[in-house]
Amino acid sequence: MPPIFLSEIQKKPVWDTEGERVGRCVDVLVSDVGASFPRIRALALRDGDDTPRFVVAEQVGWLRPSILLTTERASLSPYEPQGDELWLARQVLDRQIVDVDGRRVVRVNDLQLARVGEHLCLVGADVGTMGLLRRLGMERPARTLFSALRAQSPEAIIPWEDVAPLQAEDPVRLRVSRERIGKLHPADIAAIVSDLNRRTGQALIEALDDETLADTLEESPSDLQVAVLNHLEPERAADVLEEMGPDEAADLLADLPEQTIRRLLELMEEEDAAGVRRLLAYPEDSAGGIMTTEFACVPEGLTAGQALDYLRQSEDAQEDEALYYVYVTEASGRLKGALSLRDLVMCEPDTPLADVTETDLVTVDLHTPQLDVAHLVARYDLLAVPVVDEEGMLHGIVTVDDAIDAFIPTAWKKRLPRFF
Amino acid sequence: MTLRDSIRRAIQRAIVYLAIIGPGLITASADNDAPGIATYSIAGSTYGYTFLWLILVITVGEVVVQEMAARMGATTGKGLADLIRERFGVRVTTLAMLCLLLANFGTTVAQFAGIAAGMELLGISRYLAVPIAALLVWLLVTRESYSRVEKFLLFLSLFSLSYVVCAFIVRPPWDVVLHQAVVPSFRFETGYVLALLATVGTTVTPWGCVYLQASIVDKGVTPQQYRYTRLDVVTGATFGNVISAFIVICTAATLFVHGTHVETAEQAALALAPLAGPGAKYLFSVGLLGASLLAASVLPLSTTYAVCEAFGWERGIDNRRQEAPVFYGLYTGLVMLSAAVVLLPGVPLFPLMWLSQALNAVLLPVLLVLMLRLANDRHLMGEYRNRRVGNVLAWGMTGLIVLITVILFAVSLSQTGANL
Repeated sequence: MPPIFLSEIQKKPVWDTEGERVGRCVDVLVSDVGASFPRIRALALRDGDDTPRFVVAEQVGWLRPSILLTTERASLSPYEPQGDELWLARQVLDRQIVDVDGRRVVRVNDLQLARVGEHLCLVGADVGTMGLLRRLGMERPARTLFSALRAQSPEAIIPWEDVAPLQAEDPVRLRVSRERIGKLHPADIAAIVSDLNRRTGQALIEALDDETLADTLEESPSDLQVAVLNHLEPERAADVLEEMGPDEAADLLADLPEQTIRRLLELMEEEDAAGVRRLLAYPEDSAGGIMTTEFACVPEGLTAGQALDYLRQSEDAQEDEALYYVYVTEASGRLKGALSLRDLVMCEPDTPLADVTETDLVTVDLHTPQLDVAHLVARYDLLAVPVVDEEGMLHGIVTVDDAIDAFIPTAWKKRLPRFF
Repeated sequence: MTLRDSIRRAIQRAIVYLAIIGPGLITASADNDAPGIATYSIAGSTYGYTFLWLILVITVGEVVVQEMAARMGATTGKGLADLIRERFGVRVTTLAMLCLLLANFGTTVAQFAGIAAGMELLGISRYLAVPIAALLVWLLVTRESYSRVEKFLLFLSLFSLSYVVCAFIVRPPWDVVLHQAVVPSFRFETGYVLALLATVGTTVTPWGCVYLQASIVDKGVTPQQYRYTRLDVVTGATFGNVISAFIVICTAATLFVHGTHVETAEQAALALAPLAGPGAKYLFSVGLLGASLLAASVLPLSTTYAVCEAFGWERGIDNRRQEAPVFYGLYTGLVMLSAAVVLLPGVPLFPLMWLSQALNAVLLPVLLVLMLRLANDRHLMGEYRNRRVGNVLAWGMTGLIVLITVILFAVSLSQTGANL
């Protein structure tokens, strides 16, 4: 049986074996939304203004060219909705879904049904222009036109297993969506969320686990960050902030009211909170404001092998976002020099660190403007630049991605531009 | 509660209000854009104070309609196009979007006509001014530093306040003004009915509703904060219409009494002569330019957003052109085509400005009916659905527009018949 579209059976009359009209098909109920081919459980029929009656899928013989049942009207088995079904016409058709494979938000123009083995199943969502034309009753003329022009007809059908239905109010479906969307790259999730209307986007983002949520927030524009954080329970918000890089967390907190900042910092673990507090003291567009305090750092006087052992034990090195360079400090905390991780790994384990350390470093001040940092990073092809104070004490590093934000903001501008 | 507590609460409330206020005031001050000024000038100069009662009626109408749009935005978190698609399906959406496109295309043409008229007053050819303006507007989609430009334009459009000052200088017969404001009058003449429709269509606009709802969704206003938004919308609409009334009063007191029927921008500018003397020309042209550029940059973009939202096409200015072909195509088409119409040799600018507003009014009922059905949807709006008073007023307004449209056709038919 070739696939059938929901729009082809919607509002069509349903006939029993005696040739008697049972009603009009108004909706299709599907169960087990998480499956690749969710099974159709029943058709919802309406006859006049009555409340809908249901026909179980097993008693449906044909859907095309007309909907024929396999029994007579009197021997239809009763069906009561269980509450976990998806009503295709009411809940999916015309709504936004996430195309997980294409990583984008699309609108459902039609739904594709087919017999898979014994059962009638939902197999795909039509998001293409052909689906729109079909709904307008112009599929056939359009097809004729496209074949006359020898052009490919604009079809786009997404297999159901790549679909994440979005309904904020429904926990079951949200779980399916979370499983499918949670695997995407955080930057893609952030783009999807900003494509959705605010409430659905917020529900989706809040359903993610702490770590994915933290990564997604880092990629999101600041107004969305604030909205999501305000919506979370304070305890959860603190957990999420701990998962974020201290520089990103500080940026986010800086947009919140004083009272909320204090409250959230108290709820965070002391170590994470201290790092964020230090960063909050500097202006947002200075080196101090965009630096991270989690970086790989070893004391002077070690050999290369000892330094690697030291890094494995070091918590700050574990948290380092990228670990491009390893910094060497004196006991007082003054920056002595740096070497690339590559050099550290490639040299003999008993080489003294001082032999491979570069001591003539490009550094920036805590108050260096972000734009100047970006220019330095670009001029010297650096992956990160250390931030020191007047005494040469090492406070943090600015990584290349945070520096170039001055030129190319990560924030997604998908919404209606704000004019005022 | 101590005095200090109540002061603190009052301050907190004021802060919340300031954070939420905006969309309503802006949408309403856009009433007095180029086509608005043209329409009110024509009405005042041709028919004296007889349109004042209509402005009183449509102030109520605008408050009701805008409030409805704002409430839907705050309650559902979705744009109007989004809601229409999800509730009414593809066919109705296509009809509604065609109406919106046509109305907004007409209004965009009117804005470019306003730019042309303003520039020609300054002695600059429209063949130079309009292409440059179109290019500037079109570039907005790729630039993000326009918010400051926008504030400047908004400031320029404050020039409409000068009509208020001017009216007090001229000292119109206030008793006549008051009398005409409360006693409806009507004439069965094509020109009169057209001017009536244009006045309605420039005040309650399809794009105003769509834009207002979109900005409220975008601001993330929640149902709990909605009462502040309602205040914003109501004061904004009232304020905008008070100014409209003063434009009518001012043109009636300066031009109508001398038998000048405005047909060009030069004549319309004369209404400000009592205030600015020989500088009236410049005051008028700069104000017209500011208002037109402002509206010309908001209109095509918000229209394109709505249409793409309804059909699920990729949208947003961070998508590169290949990823969002329909978005860019539609946007470019709207801007370029509107500008091109104004450049057609021999096109009279003033009629272009106000006749497009009559078209607006004819198309408005389609959207109003859909909005009313959505705002009454128990499932969608819950406790925030329309009250009876609002329904009666909104349906009354829809009926009034349809009635005037029917009268227009009847009158023009009978007049053509009489001429034969």
